[in-house]
Amino acid sequence: MSEQLIISIGREFGSGGHVIAEKLAARFGLALYDHNLLDEIAQEKELDAETLKKYDEVPRNMVFSRTVKGFSSSSEENIAHMQFDFLKRKAAAGESFVVVGRCAETMLKDYNGLISIFVLGDIPVKTARVMEVYGLREKEARFKMERHDRHRKMYHNYYCKGKWGDSRNYDLSINSSRLGIERTVDFLESYIKERQK
Amino acid sequence: MLAQVLAVIIFVVMFLLIVTDKIERHIVSLGCGLLMILLVFGLSMHSMTAITETLNLHSFFTVDFWYQAGEASESSAGINWATIVFILGMMIMVEGMGKAGFFRWLCLEIAGLVKYKTIPVFITFMIMSAVLAMFIDSITVILFLAAVTLELAQILKCNPLPMIMAEIFCANLGGSATMCGDPPNIIIGTSLGYSFGDFISNTGVMAGISLIVVIVYFYLCFHKQLAASKGAQMAVTEYPDPKDAITDKRAFITSTVIFAIAVLLLVTHAQTGLTVAFIGTFIAVITLISQPKDAAELLKKVDYKTLLFFIGLFIVVGGLEQTGILAIVASFIGKISGSNAMLMVAIILWISAIASAFVDNIPFAATMIPIIQSLAATQGVDLSVLAWTLSMGTDIGGSATPIGASANVVGISVASKQGYPVSWGYYCKYAAPATILVVLICMLCIYARYF
Repeated sequence: MSEQLIISIGREFGSGGHVIAEKLAARFGLALYDHNLLDEIAQEKELDAETLKKYDEVPRNMVFSRTVKGFSSSSEENIAHMQFDFLKRKAAAGESFVVVGRCAETMLKDYNGLISIFVLGDIPVKTARVMEVYGLREKEARFKMERHDRHRKMYHNYYCKGKWGDSRNYDLSINSSRLGIERTVDFLESYIKERQK
Repeated sequence: MLAQVLAVIIFVVMFLLIVTDKIERHIVSLGCGLLMILLVFGLSMHSMTAITETLNLHSFFTVDFWYQAGEASESSAGINWATIVFILGMMIMVEGMGKAGFFRWLCLEIAGLVKYKTIPVFITFMIMSAVLAMFIDSITVILFLAAVTLELAQILKCNPLPMIMAEIFCANLGGSATMCGDPPNIIIGTSLGYSFGDFISNTGVMAGISLIVVIVYFYLCFHKQLAASKGAQMAVTEYPDPKDAITDKRAFITSTVIFAIAVLLLVTHAQTGLTVAFIGTFIAVITLISQPKDAAELLKKVDYKTLLFFIGLFIVVGGLEQTGILAIVASFIGKISGSNAMLMVAIILWISAIASAFVDNIPFAATMIPIIQSLAATQGVDLSVLAWTLSMGTDIGGSATPIGASANVVGISVASKQGYPVSWGYYCKYAAPATILVVLICMLCIYARYF
């Protein structure tokens, strides 16, 4: 394993994947890139981060966008490519980091230091978590989960050959409902340390 | 009957596949073209004549294809090879100009002439966009203009989107002024036998009037925003030098001369008798001869996919024509307009504009040409009036939405890649009223001049 460590976390909505990514970043002392990635891009280019965030991890609308000679009218697609390029630049500079979503398991697959993880969960457990975190009723929580996962799947599958959530696409797929978030993090930490040996 | 049903199905499938953008459009049009030949011409019609007429390969070997001594005539149905050859030639010339640094040099030179002041840059770039697009494809114009606009906006500390949006609109408008400005015009001109002069004295006049209105419109929309930018209120001392844009001085001079020759040949082609196919071939050959070192690269960079898309498209439209579908559509338009020419113009203008705002205007224009030919023949309406109506409708309508024209897509893409995303709401808020305004101006111009 190379000295560089890049942990990519794909996740189902409500599975706690983002919290797991935060905890792993803290345990390994790494930077965490999620939507804050656009803050960095905005700062670098003197842009308005809030404008960019409207298009963060949003799938391309196939009917209302067009491509001409490789140029896409989809702002979602162009912002996605800005993020992919940013991640590739960071990885090429030898940086170690944790990245949530953003097709990182595919975009950074050429780096030996990449460990790709997908976090899933049981529907009842995820629903309960979404209800608690967002203060929603069960029906609303399920609707929110389905909508987010549908969007993540469309977003991912547009840019990558491998399908979103398909275990063949990741080093490790883990159901966070089995061990709970904290013990899932423990397990992943030991797995990553094992990989680093 | 079976042939007609199959032709319509193939056409609709092609349109839907182009709109959904899942498969590259040249593959879609060629695939559908092949199906048209096999299923419609072959299996249903058993007509070898329909196949040869649609492939139209014999046109290359006619004198008229290269030189027309008298009045240009309407070409037969099928693949419009004159359009393909002309676009190919212009692509090679434009590639050579871009490589030599012509466009960047011109943009920086003009920005320098107006002392890099935000509002004057905004206005001059709109005019430059329209003028360049009269002779060069709007994609290339916007590609270079938007890149320089972004660069200047960074120096002038202003939002580049108002400028880029206005440039896109003016590029589409400029393209409508001439026969070679926009693909629908090239197809209309070569199919119906109109010259550069015919276009400039008809669509050119409408585009010129509209350009003045549009400049005022965009000025009113954006002047406060641009005047409030930091760059408008402070003296900026460091600007890029236009000379740095020139990558190869010799290539720059020769490509500029070739461009001037191309413009001269196009402007005078009705007098000289040289067809656009000849001009395209000639321009391509002298570009390649004058830049022998880069010839292979220039040829490699030609957008063959677009040319293949055109070929497939012409076959599919040829299928609709051969099976009589387009004559049925024409008779339907004739019926609903009650043979009222003014109503017919309004229908063609607004339907072309609305359709072009959402779907590619090239297949739309190619489909509409046989329809207006049929309308002119059966309803006694002047074909040229319908041609100018179709040209303005398809060229201008595309400006209304982010996906209406290729220049819009490229401009929006260049801007959002630099972190200036353009939403449908933002784009349509400014471009849709401008489009409606220009279409109205065109309608009034057509009514005032031809009726």
